[in-house]
This record gives sequence, C-alpha cells and structure tokens, in this order.
Amino acid sequence: MNLKKEIEVSTFIVSLIVSIMTILLLPIFLDFNLTLTSLGNSLIDLNLVQTGSANAVTSVVTYFRGLDTLGEITVLFVSIFGIGLGLDRYREKLNIFAYENRLLKTAVDILFPLIILFGFYIIIHGHLTPGGGFQGGVIIASAFLLMFLAKHNDVTLNHKIISIAEALSGAGFILLGFLGVLLIDRFFGNFLPLGRVKTLCSGGVIPLIYIFVGVKVSAEMTALIDYFIRIKDVR
Amino acid sequence: MIGLIVLATFTTIIVLAILIIINDDLPHSVVLFMGFGLGSVILYFIFSAPDVALTEAVIGTGVSGVVFLVTLLQIRSKEEIRR
Repeated sequence: MNLKKEIEVSTFIVSLIVSIMTILLLPIFLDFNLTLTSLGNSLIDLNLVQTGSANAVTSVVTYFRGLDTLGEITVLFVSIFGIGLGLDRYREKLNIFAYENRLLKTAVDILFPLIILFGFYIIIHGHLTPGGGFQGGVIIASAFLLMFLAKHNDVTLNHKIISIAEALSGAGFILLGFLGVLLIDRFFGNFLPLGRVKTLCSGGVIPLIYIFVGVKVSAEMTALIDYFIRIKDVR
Repeated sequence: MIGLIVLATFTTIIVLAILIIINDDLPHSVVLFMGFGLGSVILYFIFSAPDVALTEAVIGTGVSGVVFLVTLLQIRSKEEIRR
C-alpha cells in the first residue's frame, strides 16, 4: 500500500514537471518566424573558405566544434572503461548457438573483409560523403560482432592489440589538436594545405582526425561487444 | 508521394513503439525495437540527414539489438543456474 502511494506521488510529480515544461516551451514550437538559422548559414559560408571540406557536417564536428568531439570520445572511453571494469572477470563465452550454423560461417568468411573495407571507406571519405569516424568505426565493430556470432568458439579477441590501437589513436587525436595550437594558435587548427575541394586529399587535418576517431571508436565498440558476449565460468 | 511515405512510416513507428511497451515477451520486444529503428532510418533519410540515418542503421538496428538479446540470454542462463 505504501509503495503504491509512493509510485503515485512520483508519477504525479513527473507529469506536473512535464506539463510545466510543455507550457513553457510551447511558444518556441508555435513561433514559426524564429530565426535560428543564422548561425548555420554563416557556418556553411565559412566552411569552404576555412576547411576545404565538401561535407559541412563533418567540418562542424571536427573543426568548428573539435573540442566537443574530444568530449564525446572521452564519454565513450569512460563508459567502455566502466564496462571493462565490471565484466573483465567473466572469462567463459556465452553459448549463443546450440549447433554450428554452417551458412553463417561460410557467409562470414566472404562478408567480414567486405564490411571492414566498407567501414574504412566511410571513415576515409568522411569529408566528402555523409558519415565519418563514428559511423565507420561502428560498422567495423559490427563486422567483428558478426564474426563473434558465427565463430564464437574459434575466435578470441586480443585485448592487448585493441588497447594499443585505442591508446595510440586517442593520443594521436589529442596530438593533432595541440599541433594546431602550436602552429596556428587554435585547438584543432588546420595546419595542413587545404587541397582541391571534392578530392580525397583535401580538407587539411579533417581526414586525419576522422581516421584517428574511427580507429578509436572501432576498437572501443569491439571491446564492448567482446565483454558483452562473455559469461562467468560457473561449471 | 513522399508525404504519404512519411505519414505511413510515422504511424508504423508509433504503433511499433506502443507494441514494444505492451509486449510481455522480451525477445519479441527487441525484434520490434529493431523494426522501430528501421522506420526511423527511413525518416532520417527522407528528412535529408543521411549521416544520422547511417548511425541509426548501425547502432539502433544492429549493435543495440544484439546487445539487448545477448543480455536477455545472460539473465536467463543465470536464472537457470540459480534454480
């Protein structure tokens, strides 16, 4: 009875807060003449002049707001660190399939290099086409996920190589930021030549930043998936 | 035509979201959640955000679905051991 009363009180408080916020935010949704696009237009105008990148979203993520990307990567690193701290003592792998799936095993041999190649394509062409380091990194991690699902008895992840790749790419990412500070007084400044727009070797430091981000994200997501498919050895 | 697709996808993902909540079978719920992710991929792509659509396609339908399913399997195996 007491518990039910508490749940009702908390539900009432949450619904009260939500309705107050809705009433407060309603003018924003109803005001169609609000000029929120001024910053976006000036960023698009600055994009080609300052970064030489064909994709404006990429130049916002890595150049104009490079510090936020550093924060995002730190959040991802801390969460994987916590998961590893909690789950590293589980050594035995979870028995997902009761029998060997021959079709999946054969398909993985063909698909695994293709998915890795597609992930690196997305990473390297981050300044030309939609996508970039985060998306390509997760695509590479999904290739490893497929590998773990198909051949979970034969394949083990070498955590030493994964952590070395993660550490080197993180250090390289921050090093690029400080090189920008040293050379042109701006964190993640563009100290490389811009090149011709819409070619692969353009955009200054943006492709380098995205390669580091991609390697780091793929290593972290692969380690996370490996932690999740383990189970404590109880036998 | 595009408006019709958008309306159909919106109604589908709203129905899917309600089904995810009221479903009692948790693996069933996870599969419906992956369908919900697919609908939002279509919406993101139509509203000209292809990079968000790419992220949602990989994380929302791929990795998070598998992580949910594996977590359910882990919980079940632990419950069986406890019995």
